[in-house]
Amino acid sequence: MKRFLVVLGCVFFALLGVLPVFAEVKNPDTYIYLSIGEPDTLDPHYAYDTASGEVINFVYENLIAYKGESVTEFVPRLATEVPTVENGLVRDGGKTYVFPIRKGVKFHNGNELTPEDVEYSFERGILFDPYAGPMWMLIEALFGYETLEDFVKDKVGIAWSDMVDEEGNLKSEEYRQKLIDFYTTYIDPAVEVEGDSVVFHLSRPFAPFLSILAQNASWSAILDKETCISLGLWDGQADGWWKYHNWKKEKSPLYEKAIGTGPFKLLEWDRTQQKVTLVRNDEYWGEKPKLAKVIIWGVDEWSTRRSMLEAGDADQVATPLQYLDQVKGLPGVVVKEGSRLTITALHFNWTVAKDSKYLGSGKLDGEGIPPDFFSDVHVRKAFSYAFDYDTFIAQVLKGYGHRVPSVIPRGLIGFNESLPMYPFDLEKAKEEFQKAWNGELWEKGFKLTLLYNTGNEARQTACEMLKENIESLNPKFRIEVQGVQWPTYLDAYRQGQLPAFIIGWLADYPDPHNFIFTYYHSNGVYGTTQGEAFRKFAEENLDALIEKAIEETDPAKRQAMYEEIQRIAYENALGMPLYQPEEVYVMRSWVKGWMFNPMRPGEVNYDGVWKEE
Amino acid sequence: MLEPHGDCGPHGAWFALMIFYILRRLLFLPLTLFGISLLIFLMIGFLGPYQRLATFINSPERLKGADVDKLVELYGLNDPLIIQYGRWLKNVLRGNLGWSYVGKEPVLSAILKRFPYTLELTLFAAIPIIFLGTSLGVLAALHHNRPLDHGLRIFAVVGWSFPDFVFGLFVLMIFYGTLGWFPPGNLSVWAEEIVKSPHFRNFTGMLTLDALLNGRFDVFLDALRHLAGPVLTLTYVEFAFLLRITRSSMLEVLRKEYVRTARAKGLDERVVIHKHAKRNALIPVATVSGQTVIGLLAGTVIVETIFNRTGLGSFIALASQQLDYASIMGGSLFFGLILVIGNLCVDLSYALIDPRVRLE
Amino acid sequence: MREETRKALRRLFSNASGVLGVVLLGLFVIVALFAPLLAPPKPGRDPYFMPVVTWSADPLPPSREHPFGVAGKRDIFYGVVWGTRTAFRIGILVTLASTAIGLFVGSLAGYFGRILDEILMRVTDIFMAIPFLVAAMVLTTVLGTGLDKVMIALIVFSWMYPARLIRGNILQVKEEQFILAAKSLGVSDTLIILRHVLPNAIFPVLIQASMRMGSLVITAAALSFLGLGAPQGYADWGALLNYARNWMLGGYGATFKYWYMIAFPGGAMVLFVLAWNLLGDALRDAFDPRLRW
Repeated sequence: MKRFLVVLGCVFFALLGVLPVFAEVKNPDTYIYLSIGEPDTLDPHYAYDTASGEVINFVYENLIAYKGESVTEFVPRLATEVPTVENGLVRDGGKTYVFPIRKGVKFHNGNELTPEDVEYSFERGILFDPYAGPMWMLIEALFGYETLEDFVKDKVGIAWSDMVDEEGNLKSEEYRQKLIDFYTTYIDPAVEVEGDSVVFHLSRPFAPFLSILAQNASWSAILDKETCISLGLWDGQADGWWKYHNWKKEKSPLYEKAIGTGPFKLLEWDRTQQKVTLVRNDEYWGEKPKLAKVIIWGVDEWSTRRSMLEAGDADQVATPLQYLDQVKGLPGVVVKEGSRLTITALHFNWTVAKDSKYLGSGKLDGEGIPPDFFSDVHVRKAFSYAFDYDTFIAQVLKGYGHRVPSVIPRGLIGFNESLPMYPFDLEKAKEEFQKAWNGELWEKGFKLTLLYNTGNEARQTACEMLKENIESLNPKFRIEVQGVQWPTYLDAYRQGQLPAFIIGWLADYPDPHNFIFTYYHSNGVYGTTQGEAFRKFAEENLDALIEKAIEETDPAKRQAMYEEIQRIAYENALGMPLYQPEEVYVMRSWVKGWMFNPMRPGEVNYDGVWKEE
Repeated sequence: MLEPHGDCGPHGAWFALMIFYILRRLLFLPLTLFGISLLIFLMIGFLGPYQRLATFINSPERLKGADVDKLVELYGLNDPLIIQYGRWLKNVLRGNLGWSYVGKEPVLSAILKRFPYTLELTLFAAIPIIFLGTSLGVLAALHHNRPLDHGLRIFAVVGWSFPDFVFGLFVLMIFYGTLGWFPPGNLSVWAEEIVKSPHFRNFTGMLTLDALLNGRFDVFLDALRHLAGPVLTLTYVEFAFLLRITRSSMLEVLRKEYVRTARAKGLDERVVIHKHAKRNALIPVATVSGQTVIGLLAGTVIVETIFNRTGLGSFIALASQQLDYASIMGGSLFFGLILVIGNLCVDLSYALIDPRVRLE
Repeated sequence: MREETRKALRRLFSNASGVLGVVLLGLFVIVALFAPLLAPPKPGRDPYFMPVVTWSADPLPPSREHPFGVAGKRDIFYGVVWGTRTAFRIGILVTLASTAIGLFVGSLAGYFGRILDEILMRVTDIFMAIPFLVAAMVLTTVLGTGLDKVMIALIVFSWMYPARLIRGNILQVKEEQFILAAKSLGVSDTLIILRHVLPNAIFPVLIQASMRMGSLVITAAALSFLGLGAPQGYADWGALLNYARNWMLGGYGATFKYWYMIAFPGGAMVLFVLAWNLLGDALRDAFDPRLRW
């Protein structure tokens, strides 16, 4: 018996050894990309992460698209012309945009694309406006409000939660007409069908409007009105629209269904394997992709991704910088680079929550820091001088990155290399520390805790470097660097308990406003987490400037305004911009036609690549 | 728990006792499940609402534009614990285990979809583990204290001393990286197309079995190829325990009186071993085998992660990391169910093998 | 010393693998004791945190300055040496605490039987039915990272095994003649448990404990692998192995380029666990006749 089993085992292994020769298919018309994680949702008006955007981007289409690798030039997509002042499609000083809609385009289910679909897509998105979603960009651009609920509250005079309950039902009939009127007065006229075109009416000129609509901006994707209505989404009527507002992510049928006009159709989203499969749309109106199939597969373990790349079972894999050396010289593998519009910066909390455990004793007694520690500009300047930016970029990013003077990345208006930056200078850091808090700080010393969320190499190292350098100045300075899990980090961050935090931002659209507003405006996403004292500072010194800069349409004037803002940021050491990274893209050498665009979510232009030796 | 005691009564009474015993154990099942859910919920309850929010905002990326406080309201994370637990319990009693954010589908279907994969892996790993463990254990016992015995024990113990992720990565490196034999994942691209096509019927959810039932031997072989790596890892790391138990059990039995008696009677050595020693040594081995299999079911996390396989283990691990409490609760209940029923089966088989055992 | 014990100890030391186990353990004990000499910590810093020696995340091969190489920006030699202390701490503390709790619960259940037994065993079942990793993960998220939190998690979810074992043994011993005799003589329950029941039932527990020492270290390593466990930079073999995780497949053309990242911490771990397992095996062989498995 035993002997038989041994023989069986040998035969078994022999078989397995033979199989690879026959079963090793290189999948010539299938592209396999291995990513980290998977999409959050395929509903274009909900998705706000790159993984979701990657899929939406190739299944749905927008009115216009970026031209090749540019982020400032556009080409028409579902519209037949790009609106400009010259061709008369941008009117009223930038408050009206006209998009003639292409004919003969079909959705994946055979329905014809009409201007009504375009109108519906935008209106549905605006009315849906889920919390944590991307619709704020369109709402801000069109109406000047942050959220739909703010808009309603301002115009109707009553808070949303007072009018509508959690199920989407009215709390009282008296609100029905008010809400219907709100729609017909404000929302409906903002996006109108005029003949074969769709017209947008903005409340005031908004310079980056076209960028917010361009392909890669998943929230501006065009949906099929009939399909959506049949799936149970908003029926397009004024009466009852509030029922369709702010559904939970899983409630929207578009979560996993995607019927667009794009070059690829969604075949399947297998959530047990974190795999999305796309197939070529053979009825596509434009130039059809060369690939027949695309597989986007979430493989979280780097070693596994790498071995698959080596074996040829994957064509491209997401590669964290620190492992780049493992693949650089591999036969059959090439590394390409590109610079995205993203920066990473360290910002300070000027008014830390009193109950924070990262303050030490909470007083300026050498055993902690007072909650308003960072409200003293000398402290901030000292920190800014104490970070070795160049060594960080050279060693941790392996040279794949560069410094930026403030939060505007290279490639956007407002960026200017010659703007002043803080050098790494321990002497100056020392001076600033000695000036801080009327000299008391130098005498008494301090102790604080810097947090980073585990899994982030670069941020961890940045904290450690800062700690080493600052502690070397004065033995009474102590910084503890602690790694915590994401939920804990989120909690501390949200409650304003972190004295300082490293935070990055990826451009939603290629305009400096997206960065400046976020970091420096008192209502910006990061502005609000820098403490009450910062908000006051921003309100007094920055808010007005920032708002003027977005309304200005002359690029030269905008450049000057943004430089002014950045100068203020520099003089007051509002934050420490650490770097703008360069990204690496690792793929097999048989990949052809790969192209980079900084605004594209995801690493691959599936509609343009093909495989050949 | 079952304890070996003296004689049993007449057969009929014994049978009745058995049924009574099974019923009594099963009666405690809901109580156990309730206890599990309470325990886990209490643990999660210590977290603040923003920490719990991490399920919905699971990376710094998604912080963009998120109005965190409104989200907390929307998902009811601020309500008192009792209410949140009550809400969950009410849904469970209606058969709704909630929505899994990690699996992106209802919890129940997420679990049911992934369970067959873990089961398949467990069963395929159980065979070599039990086979190798028992046969090598017997071998070691027969050569007690001689070089072979020591050699086998060290080989086994070294395996058990290895963290499974280290060994797993070795296997990946050698058998996939260098040799190309055992790839990660569930299936090759071509095989997956066949499985997903409309004419492939999903009977059990286990790829190997379904492939055979559909008559696709090529898919079956491909699935086996993908199983080989994880099975190899699990086997080497787990068989040591079984080896040890078999060995000590055999040793004990070999010293027993009746074996000496059989030898004295002049019976052939081989017969002595095969007929008497082995059967009696098998009793504790059966128990431990059962427990190993059950333990495997819950312990495939790391192997599933490294070899990128679908499964319940990696699902629960991800859910725990992201505090997806609906998934954690659902998954734990499921495991609890399996463990309790599994232990019941093991205890019953113990009674069946050795009729001298009395059911307490 | 009782004659039985003396005979058993003699059997223990005549067993080759047992001796090997003891010798290995002895080596580890020496390393742990002399850690400050072997790998001097930086003054004013917590010695359990491995000092950062380079900013680049690239691993460095062994050199005179770093005899075991550098991984995760930290010196591997330092990590292995101080990691020995961590391993002992985790192993001993968790084993002691969980065994003590298990003994307490198991003894109560086994000795007093009936309702108390039923309740305690149900509670044990509940704890055992939760997959350990899940529980450990949730608990460490709640309590925060830190070696002490990991130990709490390990203790809370491992006391059940000694409890069941001791209970089973007590149930058997309970019916023995000399116990019944003591009872009928009116000796108090506590005395009976302490002086008669426990000493006879305890050996399997000790053996199980010695074997669990090894698997505890592996479990702690698994937690580090999953991103929990000891805080970043803590001297812990599991954490060192975690750095190796993404470098294991080597560089291009050189599969074993980063061998040192696994060889040293992995070797230490395997030898440590091996030592405890050998010891446990030898103990079992030595006390063979008392065993009920």
